Amino acid sequence: MATAKPLISVVDDDESMREAVRGLMKSLGYTAEAFASAEEFLSSRQVPRTSCLIADVQMPGMTGLELHRHLVASGKTIPTILITAYPDDSMRARALEDGVVGYLSKPFDESDLLACINSSLPADAP
Amino acid sequence: MLCRTAAALSTGCAGLALLTWILVASDFSHPATGALLYLIVIVLLSITGNIAAGLGLAIIATFCLDYFFTEPRFSFQINATEDVIAVAAFALTAVAIAVLAGRARRSGETRALKDRLQLIIDTIPAMVWSISPNGSSDFLNKRFRDYTGLSLDDIRDWARADALHRPWMNALHPDDRSMDDWSAALAPGEPFEKEARLRQFDGEYRRFLLRFVPLRDEWGRIVEWYAKSTDIEDLRRAEEELRRRDARLRDAQMALAHANRVTTTGQLAASIAHEVSQPIAAALTNANAARRWLGAAPPDLEEVGQALDRIIRDGIRASDVIGRIRALVRKVPPRHDQLDINEVTREVIALTRGELRSSGASLQTKLADGLPLIPGDRIQLQQVMLNLILNALEAMNGSSQTARELLIGTEQDGSGSVLVAVKDSGPGLKPESRDRLFEAFYTTKPNGMGMGLSICRSIIEAHGGRVWVTADQPHGATFRFTLPQQQEAAC
Ligand SMILES: Nc1ncnc2c1ncn2[C@@H]1O[C@H](COP(=O)(O)OP(=O)(O)OP(=O)(O)O)[C@@H](O)[C@H]1O
Ligand SMILES: [Mg+2]
Repeated sequence: MATAKPLISVVDDDESMREAVRGLMKSLGYTAEAFASAEEFLSSRQVPRTSCLIADVQMPGMTGLELHRHLVASGKTIPTILITAYPDDSMRARALEDGVVGYLSKPFDESDLLACINSSLPADAP
Repeated sequence: MLCRTAAALSTGCAGLALLTWILVASDFSHPATGALLYLIVIVLLSITGNIAAGLGLAIIATFCLDYFFTEPRFSFQINATEDVIAVAAFALTAVAIAVLAGRARRSGETRALKDRLQLIIDTIPAMVWSISPNGSSDFLNKRFRDYTGLSLDDIRDWARADALHRPWMNALHPDDRSMDDWSAALAPGEPFEKEARLRQFDGEYRRFLLRFVPLRDEWGRIVEWYAKSTDIEDLRRAEEELRRRDARLRDAQMALAHANRVTTTGQLAASIAHEVSQPIAAALTNANAARRWLGAAPPDLEEVGQALDRIIRDGIRASDVIGRIRALVRKVPPRHDQLDINEVTREVIALTRGELRSSGASLQTKLADGLPLIPGDRIQLQQVMLNLILNALEAMNGSSQTARELLIGTEQDGSGSVLVAVKDSGPGLKPESRDRLFEAFYTTKPNGMGMGLSICRSIIEAHGGRVWVTADQPHGATFRFTLPQQQEAAC
């Protein structure tokens, strides 16, 4: 795995947002995959390959936080960064308690996102 | 007629017989006395009866005079020449008197009839006048004179001074006097109607409906026009008042609808903020990516181009949302466009996407293809759908039903109208409230105004359609409305 570029998976029901985040990840030198829902991500073959997960909080069906909890519960913990259009302090506290790497509100600062990603990836990553 | 003559004649004969009997019995034998008394009976009969009876009686009286009073008496024979002359003179006088008395009676009757007609024409509740073909008016009834304050002399003087200028027209409002209009109306020689203002004696003008009918002689030439006017001032005023009220009501309805749009849009504020911030966040993210690609060595212009394309898309999306919000809260008079109801529906859904998301409801749409365009006002129809969608979400939010499903469908109904349905999985409707939902100010919500559905109904009805609700089993409600392709009622 050390030779391959780390895969970052983006889950957001909003198409323009997920395409934008995927594009940004690509420009940062990562491989990125985008999914329109938590369910779509879970049923894909990318779950075990994903080094970092960026998920929207509010989505129809399973929310970003539920996805994170589901992964933890099934023993497939992936470092997760949640982004939200509706910042909410109690939600943020709960998310961080549950071991989420970052909780960012849209629009987010590129450097904040980068910092979160870096902290979630092994030190030898780009 | 014959009957009446016979009756009068027999009365006359009876009178004659009675007189003769009295004279003969009392031995009055002077022919002149008899002749005079006979004449009196003839006069009386001619005045009360008719000429024929008078003439008949005159002849009978002549024979009576000859028989009873002329020597030799009690015979039709006459001996003396002067007696022949006297009887002949009596006969002539009697006939002349019968005719004259009859005529006198007739002319009395004619005058009475004329007076009666005059009275009728002066009393009927309308102004009536006649106009000769050259335009002068030779007759105006009393109502016309009373109304205008003109005397018969005034009118006669006018007619003399101004024969060509249709003196009765002086009573018209200057703006209603156009000779061209009047000539055009009179030219075909057919009955016609015209509305005009007539000046009252105190200078006030009132509106009248004038009706003109020509009278023709046996050769078909117009002898005279008869005109009749009916006062329609009060009617017109009432109509105007009604129109003003109608306009005020429409204004009030529009203001109310606008207020409802603003409130509803306000309710959507959080979702709208989301709807706008989403593409803005995406655009910023794309801009960051573009800067990275530019800063790479060598710069990847292809990727820069793609990021910029995405930025443009995001920008358009954000400004579309803002445009739609603006349109909703702007105060504009209703428009009549040919609308694709599916497009209208999609725009509303885009506005409520955030609301749907935060209420955790899933949305299913079933928009039929090939629907006809319908005439209507886009904003008003969006307002209807917005109200129905928000009601559905509010109903589902307040209900304990776990599955929150909203279904929005469009189709064409049997009559060719477009039918839109908004179905929710909320608690449904209580029978007692079902009839009242569309009433203004009916609400079961603590913060509700109760205006949503009543506005929906007035908008749909103004589009010539219908809106109704059905309760679904086991729960939920479906609101439907139709929009006809052709509109009978103006909106
Ligand atoms: N989908 C629905 N399911 C159940 N009840 C409904 C539904 N839609 C409307 N109602 C009932 O009809 C009432 C009237 O609705 P309406 O939209 O006219 O007013 P409102 O929603 O109460 O207030 P406003 O729309 O003015 O904010 C509501 O208060 C609610 O009781
Ligand atoms: Mg409502």
